[in-house]
Amino acid sequence: MDALEPVLPVLSDDNRGFWDAARAGTLAMQRCAACGHLRYPISPICPRCLSPDFAWTPLSGRGTVLSFVIFEHAYNPAWASRVPYNVALVQLAEGPRMFSNVVGIPNEQVRVGMPVRVSFEPVQTAGGSELAIPRFAPAG
Amino acid sequence: MGWRKAAIAGIGASRQGKLPGETALSLATEAFRDALADADLQKDEVDGLLTMPGTSSPEGAKHYLALGERLGINPSFTGSMAMGGATAGALVQLAAMAVSTGMANVVACVFGDAARTAGSKFDSAAGGSDSWGIWGMFGNAANSAIGARRHMALYGTTSEQLGWVAVNGRRNARLNPAAVMREPMTLADHQASRLIVDPLRLFDCCLITDGGVALIVTSPERALSGPHRPAVIWGMGQGHTAENLGREDWWYLPHQTDCVSRAYRMAGVSPKDIDVAQLYDNFTIAVLFWLEHAGFCKIGESGPFVEGGLRIGLQGELPLNTAGGNLSESYMQGWLHIAEGVRQIRGEAGERQIPDAELCLVTGRGMTLNTASTLVLGR
Ligand SMILES: [Zn+2]
Repeated sequence: MDALEPVLPVLSDDNRGFWDAARAGTLAMQRCAACGHLRYPISPICPRCLSPDFAWTPLSGRGTVLSFVIFEHAYNPAWASRVPYNVALVQLAEGPRMFSNVVGIPNEQVRVGMPVRVSFEPVQTAGGSELAIPRFAPAG
Repeated sequence: MGWRKAAIAGIGASRQGKLPGETALSLATEAFRDALADADLQKDEVDGLLTMPGTSSPEGAKHYLALGERLGINPSFTGSMAMGGATAGALVQLAAMAVSTGMANVVACVFGDAARTAGSKFDSAAGGSDSWGIWGMFGNAANSAIGARRHMALYGTTSEQLGWVAVNGRRNARLNPAAVMREPMTLADHQASRLIVDPLRLFDCCLITDGGVALIVTSPERALSGPHRPAVIWGMGQGHTAENLGREDWWYLPHQTDCVSRAYRMAGVSPKDIDVAQLYDNFTIAVLFWLEHAGFCKIGESGPFVEGGLRIGLQGELPLNTAGGNLSESYMQGWLHIAEGVRQIRGEAGERQIPDAELCLVTGRGMTLNTASTLVLGR
């Protein structure tokens, strides 16, 4: 079992579009069919106009690091073996923001403003299914 | 001038620190009795009861019932609220509104938590079903660390500048016999403390303590018949950002500027009128943000403002967190900040009294950088 198992997402009708797209190598978010607002976090209705109609929309996967931290303390056993690890607040090119991790470089080299591009980490769940976690690598 | 339709007439606190055998309810009870004695009131005169469940309270939103039963109070006005560190101020505001509308005459606002003894970890992940925990984003410190890092990147704020906030709190706590942490702390001590969530160090983080606090709100007229000078509520404000990732400036808590402005407007005052401030300090960076949000300095200039610690010291132009705050007095989630504000207005803060303190600003913030409340207290 992957150490991350206890914190992996539980798939539901609300979030399946996001995780199905991730497994196919695409970062996708919900675009409101009524007002066009691209939203995240995942929600059944649009926080701008309250419409329930939307389409999962592929994004470029590009963004910049708005801010980041480095965990030197294990708050959760699922992440204990990865300490020290970084968590970044990523500003996506299309507008939304998400928390994720910068991979492929040492923590000391992560910078605010750094351009990044999505990169997926495959994870096997205890139930035998496969997930892909969107993380971000420096973009040249 | 100012709203001035309610006042804080009583303040009480339990013992603070590590108190094995105590519970959230027992500590709330201890604080309530202390506040009654402070206000020279009988229990039967209390007709309003507002409470905040502690992290170790199993009752959740029904906390007011558990405490009402224990205290033997059948109130005309009651309820519980959970806004983290903004709750204390928000409950005093609710009490003030109840008093000013006549829905209650004497309202006790009460909090107790055995967080230390119960082992509360403050380690949960925000984000609902797609939890931030998927990416390792756990606990309260990390949210503030995100804000600290961006402030550092945009404005050149340093860890040493954060350290001056911690040193100031400790310096004041050393003059407060009730403070939990009274050993000296230097800037070098702060810099030598271990990183928890980089850029925040151990001494950037609040304590985790057991304790209780109670505040009694009544009309200014009734408060005048008590044994202390009333701390009259001149202004009240709130501001909240429920959409965290939905706002590009969420990390900067934009609602706090609105929160303080609303309180200033109601009080008819501006930042230059404030004699002393109790600014919510769950983490040192929080104080820097408040200094900017409350208009004591410009955006991005809070680091230099606190540097050296003189300006924010007891003899400085803006004495801050005169009892030691969440960082050094006790982590009562802002409840003790209000009690200290009342003491300063009364002129009863002992060695740490600011001479002729006529107006005190008290701020609180909570949850995932979501909630904020402000009180302007005066004579
Ligand atoms: Zn919409």
